[in-house]
Amino acid sequence: MATEVVLPALGLTVEKGKILEWYKKEGDPVQKGEPIFLVEADKVTTDVESPSSGVLSKILIPVGVEVPILTVVAIITEPGEKLAAKWMVEGPAVPAAETRGEPPGPVSPGERPGAKTGIPGDRDVVPAARRKANEYGLDLSRISGTGPNGVILLKDVEGVFAAESKISVVKASTLARKLAEKEGVPLKEVRGTGIRGRIMQADVKTYLERPTPTASGPPLGSTLPMSTIRRVIARRMSESAFSAPHIYFFSEVWLDPLLQFREEVLLVFEKHFNLRPSINDFLIKAVALNIADFPMLNAQLKGEEIHIMPEINIGLAVAMPEGLIVPAIPRADRVGLVEIVRQRSDLVARAREGKLTLQEMERGTFTISSLAQYDITHFTAILNPPQSGILSVGKTDEKLVMVNGQVQAERITRLGLSVDHRIVDGTTAADFLQHLKWKLEHPAFTFMSL
Amino acid sequence: MQMPHRSPRARRPSRIFLHKREENGMREITFREALNEALKQNLQRDERIFIMGEDVGCFGGIFQVTAGLMEEFGPDRVIDTPISESAIVGGGIGAALNGMRPIVELMNIDFTLVCMDQIANQAAKMRYMFGGQMNIPLVIRTPSGAGRGAAAHHSQSLHALFMHIPGLKIAAPSNPHDAKGLLNTAVLDENPVLFIEDKMLYNMKGPVPEEYYTIPFGQASVKREGRDITIVATFRMVNKALSVAQELSEKGLEIEVVDPRTLCPLDKSTILASVRKTGKLITVDEGTRCNGFGSEIAAIVAEEAIECLQAPVIRVSAPMTPVPYGPTLEKFYIPGEENIKEAVNRLMAYG
Repeated sequence: MATEVVLPALGLTVEKGKILEWYKKEGDPVQKGEPIFLVEADKVTTDVESPSSGVLSKILIPVGVEVPILTVVAIITEPGEKLAAKWMVEGPAVPAAETRGEPPGPVSPGERPGAKTGIPGDRDVVPAARRKANEYGLDLSRISGTGPNGVILLKDVEGVFAAESKISVVKASTLARKLAEKEGVPLKEVRGTGIRGRIMQADVKTYLERPTPTASGPPLGSTLPMSTIRRVIARRMSESAFSAPHIYFFSEVWLDPLLQFREEVLLVFEKHFNLRPSINDFLIKAVALNIADFPMLNAQLKGEEIHIMPEINIGLAVAMPEGLIVPAIPRADRVGLVEIVRQRSDLVARAREGKLTLQEMERGTFTISSLAQYDITHFTAILNPPQSGILSVGKTDEKLVMVNGQVQAERITRLGLSVDHRIVDGTTAADFLQHLKWKLEHPAFTFMSL
Repeated sequence: MQMPHRSPRARRPSRIFLHKREENGMREITFREALNEALKQNLQRDERIFIMGEDVGCFGGIFQVTAGLMEEFGPDRVIDTPISESAIVGGGIGAALNGMRPIVELMNIDFTLVCMDQIANQAAKMRYMFGGQMNIPLVIRTPSGAGRGAAAHHSQSLHALFMHIPGLKIAAPSNPHDAKGLLNTAVLDENPVLFIEDKMLYNMKGPVPEEYYTIPFGQASVKREGRDITIVATFRMVNKALSVAQELSEKGLEIEVVDPRTLCPLDKSTILASVRKTGKLITVDEGTRCNGFGSEIAAIVAEEAIECLQAPVIRVSAPMTPVPYGPTLEKFYIPGEENIKEAVNRLMAYG
């Protein structure tokens, strides 16, 4: 069995290393534990020992090339064993890797005629795919290309992202798996310390001996790797928060008319359509109609151009344990309330099961984020890039209000609006919010066409 | 001016144009008739406008675009010239500088090379070199393109050469409606405008309003909307792209066809918006490959929207040879539906 020699993890924050010297040549015999090359990382040099005995059949990464940690740098075969075809690099022989399995080793530079650059792992990627991969935080060297000559296409990146969002394959040793099964340990939660993050038996034992977690959330002192979704959310939220100047507006909406309206139509709705509209559904429709009057809230900044999107697709933020997902209802201003209720329930249900399509998440042009079920008066939301507006909804509270000199009890909710100040000015945002408030306070007028 | 010498070729009277009226009201006329109408309406509108060129008067134009105009407006407004392109354009420049609004004709775009100095060095640069002191409201009309077996000297598509010269506007209509509107705009412009007519389009019929109207320069027209591939095409190639798009739409592929309508000023934002939407671009142009129209579009996209590209940009163009004389070879030379479909197939390998 051939052994892959990898560039080992050289430190907690080290990401790359450079081989300074190979102590052995191709074809030399090696002993397990014998130093075979010298690596430099962050100005520190270390000898790396051979992981097994045999023959150093192939050196994949030559001296002087900087590669990421855990890159396969050489192959050791047993005496008499033939080197597998995939390691013999002649021409564009990129091994066809499964999208969620082992990453293929990088190709030795200089051996591939017409190789793009000398950097191993640098494949041909179409520009749109490269950008998407950056956005999703995906490593292009792990993706196999289905285009001509193995070019990585946009759909290859999308495919990997979709697959990874759903499943993550856990690499574990046989012993670890046996122990985990016996003890009922979910392998996803175990941190692997073997080669390339492989879970070893010792890791499962460590997990079993861990301190019990607190009431909600992971235990103190634990380290969680970021899931793909978390990484994407982190990236997008940072991008939004640090590039779009946010301004925030709040307005208190008197919700009694709407709540009453809903009560009145609820029974009839249920009887006729077998659906129960929630306040969110009315909110979605009202917001969509409001955007039709204020198209700048449906705009996106692309370079130097403000693109006012042709359709009003309202996204509703759905909280999941891994993070926030925002499926969008298309053309919410033009479809009837019945359709909105149907679509909203379908999208939210599928969001919770992780069964949304990318298009359903990407088509949104404005987002509504509601924490009404929590005891939160109001909050500021970060724009969902590349949108220019987001509405936050706080809880509905019964308050005492002065109306024409009389004290009254009213049910009030606080709406928050965040907008991108590069595109939307204060007066437009204020106007938008004011008109939205009016729409919600006059439901019969607003929802006349169901 | 004395009575013009009637050329022996001018045996026939002006053509009588039969206008078919479409059932829903807008009549359909040919590209040639649309231009003739535009010229006539302009000659009526403004007495400073006049037409000048070889065989434009008595003969009515080599392609009959100016038929009937000399009879109606007289030899002072529609002037036949000797065979001297430099004099035609030079005379036009002089007239324009002195307050007239000439529409001169060069019988084929190939002949612009004879008077290149007048066009590129004089007309195009005068405003700049004289500190903005003069207007040169000159329109140079010229037919371009192959397909009539007219061989290498009478079949070229040289618009790419002129895109490279600052100070010249270029109109590139692909159908009768755009032809009339763009010509009207060209006549109103205070700058030299090269108004290029694809000679194979003269017989193309299409709906054209009867009244006077203009189409602004620098405004491309999306002739067909689609999500899968963008084709940017010029002149007759627009119609070939549309025909391919129609055919492939039955197979589920939606191709967006963008007609720039003016090559200078060029409507970049419509083109870029389309490429951003589809991620795939084909340019179709009858000019030769090197430094052709397609090259400029590809460069603009590479510079301003590269991250939207999901596949390479493909240029469909004529090969780097002179236009052949033999009909079979000439047909092979001109980009056709098959070339466009081949480009589409290449792009579909990219998903």
